[in-house]
Amino acid sequence: MSENNTKASRESCPILEIKGLQKSFNDLAVLRDISLSVEPGNVVSIIGPSGSGKSTLLRCAAFLETAEKGDILYDGKYALRDGVYAEKAELNRFRTLFGMVFQNFNLFPHYSVMKNICEPPILRGEIKAEVEERALGLLKKMGLEGRENAYPYQLSGGQQQRVAIARALALNPEILFFDEPTSALDPELTGEVLKVIRQLADDHMTMVVVTHEMAFARAISNRVIFMDGGYIIEEGDPEEVFGNPKKERTKRFLSNYNQ
Amino acid sequence: MSLLTMILKMGEGLGKTCAIFFLTLLFSLPLGMVVALLRMSKNKVISAITRFFINILRGTPLMLQLLAVTYGPYYLFGISVSRNKLIPVVIAFAINYAAYFAEIYRGGIESIPTGQYEAAEVLGYSRFQTFMRIILPQVVKRIMPSITNEVVTLVKDTSLAFTVSYQEMFTIGKQIANSQTSFLPFVVAGVFYYIFNLIVDRVMGRVEKRLNYYK
Ligand SMILES: Nc1ncnc2c1ncn2[C@@H]1O[C@H](COP(=O)(O)OP(=O)(O)O)[C@@H](O)[C@H]1O
Ligand SMILES: [Mg+2]
Repeated sequence: MSENNTKASRESCPILEIKGLQKSFNDLAVLRDISLSVEPGNVVSIIGPSGSGKSTLLRCAAFLETAEKGDILYDGKYALRDGVYAEKAELNRFRTLFGMVFQNFNLFPHYSVMKNICEPPILRGEIKAEVEERALGLLKKMGLEGRENAYPYQLSGGQQQRVAIARALALNPEILFFDEPTSALDPELTGEVLKVIRQLADDHMTMVVVTHEMAFARAISNRVIFMDGGYIIEEGDPEEVFGNPKKERTKRFLSNYNQ
Repeated sequence: MSLLTMILKMGEGLGKTCAIFFLTLLFSLPLGMVVALLRMSKNKVISAITRFFINILRGTPLMLQLLAVTYGPYYLFGISVSRNKLIPVVIAFAINYAAYFAEIYRGGIESIPTGQYEAAEVLGYSRFQTFMRIILPQVVKRIMPSITNEVVTLVKDTSLAFTVSYQEMFTIGKQIANSQTSFLPFVVAGVFYYIFNLIVDRVMGRVEKRLNYYK
């Protein structure tokens, strides 16, 4: 396939597209009919009350949960089609396209910062020296210069989350998912994490961010999605959704945050 | 019989005591992992059967299991009792300890948060890589104190080999005690076990310390 061809498809199709996604846990329908698409270089924020299915949506996109119905496409190719997943090898290839940053960091406690970041790309067959150089650059970007030999327990929550972000970035993903990246942090530590995410947005990293930081979401997003009860209730330009919400439920939700 | 000859005679059996000890660990530590994985199998039949055997091995005396493994083949099938009793003794010990280690491993594996698996999966680790590189090292650290307990118990349990007259240190001591009508061999045995376990304690303490580079 020619380079032109792939380039053209890049421009014309979203990195991630989800159509009619449904997911339930036993009898509990958590995602009822979710459709969204994320264009290259865009930041999409997902807001909504707890239990509305935000994490489940991200986890479905990252193949950590199995959806029952709908489509998931990466770069225009089906990972899930009408509720049927692609083959395992195919899914592994899709896995190289996204990264995930968890609420609880999920760093590997027995690995140094450097090993946390470097082992995944090395296991994928990249050259150690190159990976290490990239890791040092990422640590610098995360404001963690000099901490490469530290172990996670020696770091603050904010530092751990920044290591987790560096770890995800080291694999050069096309799209990065954040599931409430600052919710487990002490309030005084959220700023440093939000700052690096904002920096990534400025660099046009494609991201989907589940967050309760409304001002942050408003500032960095190209699009905001408000979820409730397994549905997307409202979505659009952040100024529209935050400044002039159309739906009653959105208004009610946002008014709880503005008190 | 002087105390010195007594100690020397019993000392001759120490090699066999050590053989039981080390061979049991050599076989039961890995076997326990296999049993633990079977016990945690998603296949309900496999996990139920494994659980049944674990319960039997932990719920009946090791002494009975020793007798069963050593003499069972003779009574059941007429197979003559093997000349070298080390083989049935180690088989019985290894199986019994594997059952205990399996439950320790299982507890350790189940205590690792699912987030570790999920992070590894998203980062592209295969299931095997996740287990060997991410899960197992953390499990080893967590279960070390329980493993130490079992190893200390094993040192003392080697004395049970007397029930099948395997000539290890305690068996010899018991024979001397009978022939000399003396309690002294048991005191000597006690001191031997105590010293053995002092060494075990040192070694395991050092291993635990080496795993203390992270929390
Ligand atoms: N593994 C699970 N098993 C059963 N129920 C679950 C599971 N994960 C999430 N849920 C339920 O699904 C609903 C949505 O959860 P979640 O996606 O975590 O919401 P949010 O991230 O918006 O707070 C909640 O009611 C939650 O209790
Ligand atoms: Mg959530």
